[in-house]
Amino acid sequence: MRKQEVKKASEKDKPDLKGTFVSVMLLGVFIIITWFGAFALFISR
Amino acid sequence: MHLHKYEKIWLIFGTGSLVVFLLIVGYGAFWQGTHPQSHGVTIDTNNIESNEAFKPENLGLTKVEEDKYIVNIAASAFFYDLGKDEDGKSVKTIRIPKGSTVLWQAATKDVVHGFHVAGTNVNMMVEPGYVSSIETVMDKPGTYTIVCNEYCGIGHHMMYATVEVYE
Ligand SMILES: [Cu+2]
Repeated sequence: MRKQEVKKASEKDKPDLKGTFVSVMLLGVFIIITWFGAFALFISR
Repeated sequence: MHLHKYEKIWLIFGTGSLVVFLLIVGYGAFWQGTHPQSHGVTIDTNNIESNEAFKPENLGLTKVEEDKYIVNIAASAFFYDLGKDEDGKSVKTIRIPKGSTVLWQAATKDVVHGFHVAGTNVNMMVEPGYVSSIETVMDKPGTYTIVCNEYCGIGHHMMYATVEVYE
């Protein structure tokens, strides 16, 4: 019983990073697109 | 150390992209010969004629062999010296057949200038004391404007020349 309570508490402490995750991935995708965009210009010219 | 599952994912994603970028750039640098346009070739700014390429008679377009050309440019405020034509007039337009390999070499007699054949990768800074060079294949016909894209003084916007790539 006691153990369960402890577990419950630690799970609640876990930060919710869903929003962070989505924004990090959006930024990452933006950087990749712009990087390859500039690279494609360099190669095609 | 405990890492959140999401943290692991974005760390792997970020590190992975960095590795991919560096591999592509490294391949260009070490196997394809890409290098900065000014890469340590020095020249005396007050006497660029001491370098064979920038003697007045060697300025402008020179045909080396079939489909291979060299263009030497002496930049100064506010003028690209591309040599003289038969009438003794300063050359303003260079004509190059399509598909030619062209080695562009530029040096400045005074301040920092830019040298950009607009619409191509021929885009370099021309710094006092250094020779800037880049080799390209001019494979798209058309008229290109050479512009100075480093502010060099009051006549900066007057500093231009023309390149014609013809079929
Ligand atoms: Cu300028």
